[in-house]
Amino acid sequence: MARRDMTPGRLAAYIVLIIWCILAIFPIFWMASTSFKPVTEGFGGLGSLLPQNPTLNNYVAVSRLLPLARNILNSVTVATVGTILTVFLCSLAGMAFAKYEFPGKNALFFLLLATMMVPPEAGVVPVFAIMRALGWINNLLSLIIPTAATAIGIFYMRQYISGFPNEVMEQARLDGCGEFRIYWQIVVPVVAPALAAWASIAFIARWNDFFWPLIFMRSKEMFTLMVAISTLPVSEGLSTPWPVIMAGTTISVLPLFVIYFLLQGYQKEGLALGAVRG
Amino acid sequence: MPSSGLLQRIWRARTIYLFISPFFILFAIFQFFPLVWSFYMSFHEWNGLGPMKPIGLQNYRFLLRDNVFHTALGNTVIYWLANGVLILPLALLLANFLAMPRLAGRRLMRSVMFLPYVTATVAVGLIFNMVFDFNSGLVNTLLNTVGLPSVPWLTSVEISKLPVIFLNVWRLTPWYTLILLSGLQGMNPELHEAATVDGAGPVQRFFSITIPVLMPILFFCFITLTIDSFRIFTEPYILTQGGPGNSSLSIVQYLYLNGFRIFKLGLASAIGYALTFILLIVSAAQIVLLLRQSGLTEVN
Repeated sequence: MARRDMTPGRLAAYIVLIIWCILAIFPIFWMASTSFKPVTEGFGGLGSLLPQNPTLNNYVAVSRLLPLARNILNSVTVATVGTILTVFLCSLAGMAFAKYEFPGKNALFFLLLATMMVPPEAGVVPVFAIMRALGWINNLLSLIIPTAATAIGIFYMRQYISGFPNEVMEQARLDGCGEFRIYWQIVVPVVAPALAAWASIAFIARWNDFFWPLIFMRSKEMFTLMVAISTLPVSEGLSTPWPVIMAGTTISVLPLFVIYFLLQGYQKEGLALGAVRG
Repeated sequence: MPSSGLLQRIWRARTIYLFISPFFILFAIFQFFPLVWSFYMSFHEWNGLGPMKPIGLQNYRFLLRDNVFHTALGNTVIYWLANGVLILPLALLLANFLAMPRLAGRRLMRSVMFLPYVTATVAVGLIFNMVFDFNSGLVNTLLNTVGLPSVPWLTSVEISKLPVIFLNVWRLTPWYTLILLSGLQGMNPELHEAATVDGAGPVQRFFSITIPVLMPILFFCFITLTIDSFRIFTEPYILTQGGPGNSSLSIVQYLYLNGFRIFKLGLASAIGYALTFILLIVSAAQIVLLLRQSGLTEVN
């Protein structure tokens, strides 16, 4: 970068951005660093940025406190199956709203948008009763099925698929393709980047969800990772084993960080059109 | 007959209805039906096991004079206002800086900035719990180093909402920054070039071009931020358990306590309705406000 570029305004921008980056990454770094410190080592001050005697004991301790393997499996199952289902059903419905004319289309789409204003938590008591009637309490289905098709996901996919050329679909229809084959063999390959972007947003939402698994999962073995680490013993004062708890939180965020960096390329795609969340 | 023509059109589009049906079926079972049932339940006293006892409007009357509910409502409104006042301007500033031409390290900074959003709220809650701890937390240690006294962040009625707000700002600002950034990058650069030629400085360009062009996106952000703020649960649940003395309790937390800890299911349903009602009014007010404003600018 040429030096003449460095006006006071640009300098201020760099300073603000760098400070915010440090603020963004520091708590995460602090968590990871603390998780490697022996429980007896002081962890309060900045003097101990890095552990002096790094240890893996906290990870061992947290895996004794919680059925971690099982919790991880639950979280992976909910997030993976839930994401695949929701991407499939939302893109299918998104294509329907973007590319077809049918009676009641506008009313149904308006209804879909209106549902976004109603907080799902409001009906949590009856939803619990429904889950109990279905036998889905302590069953991962209660976390996967209700969000298998979401209004926001359909809205996003509709926005994206609207740009798909009609002529291509028309040609496929003349060639004798059914509507589902048009979706599966012609639309899906082209909108794959949008599907991947939506998948990463949906995966983050499902992996990090806390309210619903807290309510539907009633035994330690069925807890998702988030509910499991929330049961770690936090108390006021020095008695809390923070390094052990930080080992738990590190395990809970690490998979997402890895996926996030692997899916970097889709980030821009993910937000350019939709500006929505799932 | 026109109706048979309509039926024919519906029949012809049956595959399409099949494509959109999953959402509407799931919505009916897991949202609409619960809302109707909830409405019925809110006029009853029920602990989930015995028979429901009809009590008319008593749950709602109780909420009108229930101090805990008023506190929870007040706290939630404060979370909402703090989020709106802090997150959106901050996100706008950061997005504007990130969109600067020839910015070195843009990709890296964007990735780093987004990390808080990827970090689970539960994990951040626990991290902040450690960092804001009165005795051993990093924040107080740093305050002591520069000669300031320790602050009871999580244990004082007056300031227990602050760490919750910090957590929200830390975790949600990146999300809105990225949305606004994509809006900025979709802007026609000629607008700015023309204004520069006309002698407008960067600040003037920001207020007279960037903000008006971004208005629809900003509005969208404000609506989603409003809905998310009124649904706050995990942050105070993990960070302060709503305490001390309900000083950080949110509405959804109060709903959860009534529904799943002390099993006042009728009252919990009434709280759910109050929440829905408040949210609908707030969202509707925002939409009306926007429509009126855009109407006025068109006249001008």
